[in-house]
Amino acid sequence: MSIAVDHLGFRYGAGTAGLDDVTLEVGPGELCAVIGPSGCGKSTLLKLVAGFLLPQAGRIAIGGTDAGSLPPRARDLGIVFQNYALFPHMSALDNVAYPLKLRGVGRAERRRRAGEMLERARLSAEADRHPAQLSGGQQQRVALSRALVFRPRALLLDEPLSALDAAHRADMRDEIRSVQREFGIATLHVTHDQEEALSIADRVAVMRGGRLQQHASPRELYDAPVNRFVAGFVGHANLLDGTVTAPGVVTTAIGPLACDTRTQTIGAAVVALFRPEAVRPAPAGGGTNRFAGAVLRDRFLGSLRRFDVAVGDGVVMVETASREAVAAIEIPPASIRLLPPETTNPRGS
Amino acid sequence: MRVVTYLYLLYLAAPIALLALGSFGDGWTNTLLPTGSTLRWYEALWADPSFARAFRVSLVVCLATCAAAALIGLPLAYAIYAAAGRGIRVAARILYLMPVAAPALVLGFGFVLVFSSDTLPWLGTTWLLIAGHVVLTLPYLMQTLVADMRHLDLATLEAAAESLGAGFAARFFDVVVPSLGHSLASGLIMVAALSIGEFQLSNLIAGFLSRPYPVVLLQAFYGATGFACAATMVLLLLAMVASLASVAANRAKRLMA
Repeated sequence: MSIAVDHLGFRYGAGTAGLDDVTLEVGPGELCAVIGPSGCGKSTLLKLVAGFLLPQAGRIAIGGTDAGSLPPRARDLGIVFQNYALFPHMSALDNVAYPLKLRGVGRAERRRRAGEMLERARLSAEADRHPAQLSGGQQQRVALSRALVFRPRALLLDEPLSALDAAHRADMRDEIRSVQREFGIATLHVTHDQEEALSIADRVAVMRGGRLQQHASPRELYDAPVNRFVAGFVGHANLLDGTVTAPGVVTTAIGPLACDTRTQTIGAAVVALFRPEAVRPAPAGGGTNRFAGAVLRDRFLGSLRRFDVAVGDGVVMVETASREAVAAIEIPPASIRLLPPETTNPRGS
Repeated sequence: MRVVTYLYLLYLAAPIALLALGSFGDGWTNTLLPTGSTLRWYEALWADPSFARAFRVSLVVCLATCAAAALIGLPLAYAIYAAAGRGIRVAARILYLMPVAAPALVLGFGFVLVFSSDTLPWLGTTWLLIAGHVVLTLPYLMQTLVADMRHLDLATLEAAAESLGAGFAARFFDVVVPSLGHSLASGLIMVAALSIGEFQLSNLIAGFLSRPYPVVLLQAFYGATGFACAATMVLLLLAMVASLASVAANRAKRLMA
């Protein structure tokens, strides 16, 4: 089963926010994370797929059949809500059994199947407790069990980890991933946490201003972002405006950068991207892309150290494991990627 | 600070204590405290047919008011909570809170004017008394229910139920009604307490044979002091049972949450 949205459009009243021409496919068994800043349209996308909003343009197909005009209850989707939305008056077991009850499964059978789901979520001991008596992580697992017990055609996760504290978030992340694999279910996972998205998803869709910017594997998104926004949103990035002044040279605020300019023409405005961890502390002196500079802010983060270096009229962010004093930095030409300059229309690929 | 609290408590408790003393006092004329002790006022109250009838009327009106308030209040509160526009919600709120702001006297005059006509000659019936009590108490129930719906985030619970396959009826009876059970209970106990103690409106619209307890109680003040005290104590007891039940229901609700 898969989820496919095709040229999907939605607008709230006369406002600008909404969704604009989004085409996206989540294959069978695939986990697709949708990320972007608040107001980017990711929640709108989820509501449209769930059926809580009806699209004004485009199509939604679930499992290959058109679902755009079906009410939510007929879409056969498992949804985990941000605050879990467990029924407060039902025990954990009754919560999980409820979708089976709606489908006319007999009492004994639905209790057995709900019990199995709770067992695999390691919640058998808590089956008779009410949601208020469960921890956040336990509620989360009940919600996930309830969303999957009726074998829905696809799974939608709406910021499922945002209500958990940091310690439990990583565990739940792995749990969601393993359950999703086990069920082999197409999953749309909306989150504002890019680390969560990169670690859990097969592919990540980055959105901004109602438009899809890039839909790619986490690695591709990090290594080959299509524009400045994606580069800046996914991971830390040095982004320097510059101009191609000669073959193999881009002039920026920190000085001339040697890099591959074969895809560009002379005089073209570009944005030079390089990741902080690609920059290397180096001894002062000459060399390709070697710049002397003063360290502005030095943050010790345990396994790594992140500092800003003032070079020329610009600032370069560096990540390194080294604890030595730094007098100069070196930016390997191969680590530099040239992106198109920011346009007013954030239209992505 | 503590002194003020105790003084205020004394101020609150003194009349009740005096009523209690007076209800057991044999005589109470020109003295600070009643003299002698007796149970004869309670016996007289028990034997008085008009008080017994009023007691029954009050209970019937109270129960009927609770039932009607629940049947009207729950769907109405749900409709207001689920209303699309914020403007509609605010307007509905102002409308249903009106009976709280408007004196019951005003409502009573309105009832007298409308229902003493030949087309709607229902003044003095128990039904009209119940209807009046519903109007007066509904705002309190609605307030409790709407607040609880917001607190529970009922809209999200319903969205969850709908995503699991529940239609409107299933959502209403499986999710909305049971998750509101506690606030419905505590709201209804408040309705019961208000209905039992209601005097202003009842005094204007009740028929002679369907007078509720507080209205008949007023008559007692023209008679023996001890008798009046005993009759008031009975009303106080009823009201206290209702408010204690309300507190207990609230505590149960907090334990659940």
